[in-house]
Amino acid sequence: MSAPLPKRLWQKFERSRVGRSIFRVGLPESNLERSQAMVSSFLLHMQPAKVNRHSLRASYSFGLGLISLYLFLILVGTGVLLMFYYVPSTERAYDTMKDLEFVVSAGLLMRNMHRWAAHLMVLFVLLHLCRVFYTGAYKRPREFNWVLGVGLFLLTLALSFTGYLLPWDQLAFWAITVGTSIASYAPYIGPKLRYLMLGGNVVGQEALIRFYALHVFVLPAVAGLMVAIHLWRVRKDGGLSHPNEPGDVVEQVDLGQLPTNKTYGLMELARGTTLQVGQNPDDEVFSWPHLVFRELLLFLIVMAVVLFLAIFWNAPLEEFANPIHPPNPAKAPWYFLGLQELVSYSAFWGGVVVPGLLVTALLLLPYIDRKRQGVGRWFARERRVAITIFTVCLLAAIAFTVIGTYFRGPNWGWQEPWKRPPPAAEGH
Amino acid sequence: MNEATPNKDLSRRGFLEITFGWLAATFAVAASAIASVRFLVPNVLYEPSLLFKAGKPDDFPEKSVTFMEDERVFLVRQGNTFRCLSAVCTHLGCTVNRTEKGYHCPCHGSLFDDQGKVESGPAPHPLPWFLVTLSKDNRLLVDKSQTVLADKYLVV
Ligand code: HEM
Ligand code: FES
Repeated sequence: MSAPLPKRLWQKFERSRVGRSIFRVGLPESNLERSQAMVSSFLLHMQPAKVNRHSLRASYSFGLGLISLYLFLILVGTGVLLMFYYVPSTERAYDTMKDLEFVVSAGLLMRNMHRWAAHLMVLFVLLHLCRVFYTGAYKRPREFNWVLGVGLFLLTLALSFTGYLLPWDQLAFWAITVGTSIASYAPYIGPKLRYLMLGGNVVGQEALIRFYALHVFVLPAVAGLMVAIHLWRVRKDGGLSHPNEPGDVVEQVDLGQLPTNKTYGLMELARGTTLQVGQNPDDEVFSWPHLVFRELLLFLIVMAVVLFLAIFWNAPLEEFANPIHPPNPAKAPWYFLGLQELVSYSAFWGGVVVPGLLVTALLLLPYIDRKRQGVGRWFARERRVAITIFTVCLLAAIAFTVIGTYFRGPNWGWQEPWKRPPPAAEGH
Repeated sequence: MNEATPNKDLSRRGFLEITFGWLAATFAVAASAIASVRFLVPNVLYEPSLLFKAGKPDDFPEKSVTFMEDERVFLVRQGNTFRCLSAVCTHLGCTVNRTEKGYHCPCHGSLFDDQGKVESGPAPHPLPWFLVTLSKDNRLLVDKSQTVLADKYLVV
């Protein structure tokens, strides 16, 4: 049976002089070529030639980290396009948003994709964090990767927050006014921090250009670099966590212990943990095609979902920012509404102490909870205490967010969503 | 010095090199960090001035509270006394609205009485009163950078 036409054409190209110069290894036919394909390509070599079957199981990781990565890439792509029209000036920003919506070809689509992918990214990074927690994947030797992850989570929120101001509509203006005021409650440095963030005392042109520089360059660059280190660490820490990991990994070879009557290759002296340590070769499959095609499929799904959302739902754009009339109630983006709900009780406790403690606890978690039991399994019995504490905090965060989102009406008063007057009557 | 038996003691030269090396490196890092942060703190603001003229005293009716949108303040006149109350909520900076008895913030529901004192809600401080004086050309002059006690009036 001969191969289908596209494949034959591709192979013809691949074997030509030009093809050979680009792809050193063509579509792999043998196991050797499958390994070579992974190692010789820039994009593929970040991944091992072979992976553990357990890592491929969708029900283990749910691909949540990968989905976060894809959303980040979609955001970079659509964001760069938006930059060709957007002008970070208080006079023109709002108009350029309107242009994107009504004048620029596919402008509405790009803006919608950017907005929905941003919301999804916050959601999926959080889900990924939960997955890593519930499978105990932050334990040795992955403690530092968890810390990097917490950094990425905060960066994701910062990216969202800085992007939120850019349309310069009512929502943007008041969410940033409220959000930066929360920062000014921090002891000692609070007011200075707000001044630094806004480049002044009020949300105005200086604040807009600062948020813009952070949003389109500083934060994405830092996040991109950190994602790269994060993925590198996933590999260096022995691939995804799995239940049969050796209890203790060789962290470093003690040079003094080695016989001196032979020479050593670098590989023998480098850190001991590799994918292979303590693994049964039968548990491993070739990354090409098993991993690579799953990854491609997942990308298609993520892209399809974002496109679907962007085609059928428009990103909101309220009236032009008006520093005199806050909308009633003035609400932050949904992922900050739990925080805003806390802040409505007390700005210092709710806005500074509680979130500060939560972030500190997240950062220290892998260094406090050090027992290696239950790594690589969802909801392991042995981790009952840690799981209970985490779940309680998570549920509380969800509860506050739901209250802030659905149960707060005008004047931040309690209002059941089913009793809400029709939108026209609310009146801003 | 012989390779096989490295001399553990630092020579005077090595000591100086190391000390100055570290000093120079620390200084360079600290100086660039300080310069970068200092760079980000603006020296000139293009914000509206905190000092503004509210108008002639007689522009305001005898017993009145006038909201001045652009300045986000309330100008309070009682008889021939003038005071100026901030309209910026001390909680998180929304603009408060006037009610029958006082002021109300739409963002998280703080309530203030007509003296700016917090009656309920998350606002941590009362609304501040600003210094009101009379300018040479007989206009009310409000200085939003100077707060005064609620019982300080300008009598015209
Ligand atoms: C921008 C955000 C992030 C991206 C793009 C990202 C990406 C990834 C990817 C692609 C993986 C491979 C496994 C998988 O797909 O689940 C992974 C694993 C991992 N991530 Fe993230 N991640 C992000 C945020 C986080 C956060 C918030 C945490 C936790 C605080 C975290 C901690 C970890 C850990 C510990 C692993 C190893 C898991 C294991 O070995 O089972 N990451 N990440
Ligand atoms: S800003 Fe006024 S109550 Fe929060």
